[in-house]
Amino acid sequence: MAKVTVSPEKFNLVFFDAGEIAELVGSAAARIGVDADITVDVDEASALGRARVTSMDPVTLSVQGGAFEDPKRPRHLAPHNVEDVASRLLFRVRDRLDPSFGDPPPDEELTLQQSTAWDAYCLGRAERLGFHPAKPRRLYHFRNRHGFSDVADAAFERLWSADGLTWADLEAVCAETEAGRQAVG
Amino acid sequence: MKRHLRVDDLARDSRFVRLPLEARFNDPRPQGSRSSSGRSGGRRLTPDRPGAPDGARALMHGIFVGEIQALEGAGRTCYDFDTGAGADDVPFQLKLDMARQCWDEARHCEISVKLSEWMGTEIGEFAESTFLFEAACNPDPVLRLTGVNRALEGLAIDVFNAMRDFGDLAGDPVLEFCEDWMLADEVTHVRMGSDWLRRLTEADPERRQRALEFQSIVDKLFSGGGFRGEEEDSPIRLARRFRQLAGFTDAEIDSISEGSRQARREAEAARQRAAAKAAG
Repeated sequence: MAKVTVSPEKFNLVFFDAGEIAELVGSAAARIGVDADITVDVDEASALGRARVTSMDPVTLSVQGGAFEDPKRPRHLAPHNVEDVASRLLFRVRDRLDPSFGDPPPDEELTLQQSTAWDAYCLGRAERLGFHPAKPRRLYHFRNRHGFSDVADAAFERLWSADGLTWADLEAVCAETEAGRQAVG
Repeated sequence: MKRHLRVDDLARDSRFVRLPLEARFNDPRPQGSRSSSGRSGGRRLTPDRPGAPDGARALMHGIFVGEIQALEGAGRTCYDFDTGAGADDVPFQLKLDMARQCWDEARHCEISVKLSEWMGTEIGEFAESTFLFEAACNPDPVLRLTGVNRALEGLAIDVFNAMRDFGDLAGDPVLEFCEDWMLADEVTHVRMGSDWLRRLTEADPERRQRALEFQSIVDKLFSGGGFRGEEEDSPIRLARRFRQLAGFTDAEIDSISEGSRQARREAEAARQRAAAKAAG
């Protein structure tokens, strides 16, 4: 099982438990098949919800505190959200570690369209592995970035149910929905 | 049947979780980090922000529970007061207006449920703030209408206007259309508040002053520490034109704007104190 280190070890602004986060992320890594040491950097001062892979060596997940937070109980940890974030990012890690996937740009250089397309592909696989991502929420994200259209909805369904895609496949989907948006605009 | 219900008396099923106001105000995290402004960076809610879809979902869920409470509040105002000309009574025409508002709010609830589904939001996914109904608990009908119809429905005008623009920019036709329809009703509700304030206090300037002071308190409290205002980075901008249509004077709108700036300064100072306390 991957060794997971959570920073900070003790939280002052929120009621998070570093040990619980480490256990949840470690368990997700084992199920997804990521066998690498993982660091989880949590920005507890932020109630925002961004989460990214910021390093591959060592694998580092940088997470704003809101991403792990329970929306019904502000400042409290939602294990479901930790699993949701971890499964999404660890599938990205697994893709990046797979030479046949291709060579995507670093997370911080991804466009919003690339990022949401990759999220759909990651979370569809996560769902089939037994995680519980909120598919309607992800469809709404996807529509916001790829257009409110039948073309975008069909692309989302393909990504969600796909396996064995490459970075080039994801870029092709982005190009397809971009063409759809241009045609409408 | 009991009159003048408290917030605790409201009926909700197990999907809903209430968030006490003090929990919101005692959060020591910096003001710019609130999720309602979008979940990633900055305060202004615009579609180009990475977390904008989640920010919009959270905000629209807040509006949904606000619609439920507005329905409950207007319904209570129909029932809580006798019909008559006394200080504790209300005219029958006011009750008719409140009944019409109930009809509107019920429709808004239905729209919000369908809009939530469209946005991928589950009912009860976010905590419920009960501030709208708390303003609707005021025992003086004039203060109640001023606090709810002018202050909080006024805030709804600002939010609907902002979210309609958000839907337009994001290319989301459903969000844009829903907001536009509800916005039209909110202007009417605020107008009702303005009209009844004027009519019921025509011969009682002291009562009018008390009502305006109550409105000012509610306005400032629910500027959300600068969440709604006229600053460049305010997540929700004050909708001046629609407020004018709803019976606000320019001086009143200026006052709300200044109150929002002040609320923002005070909220930031409070958060800094809470953060210092949390850090030991």
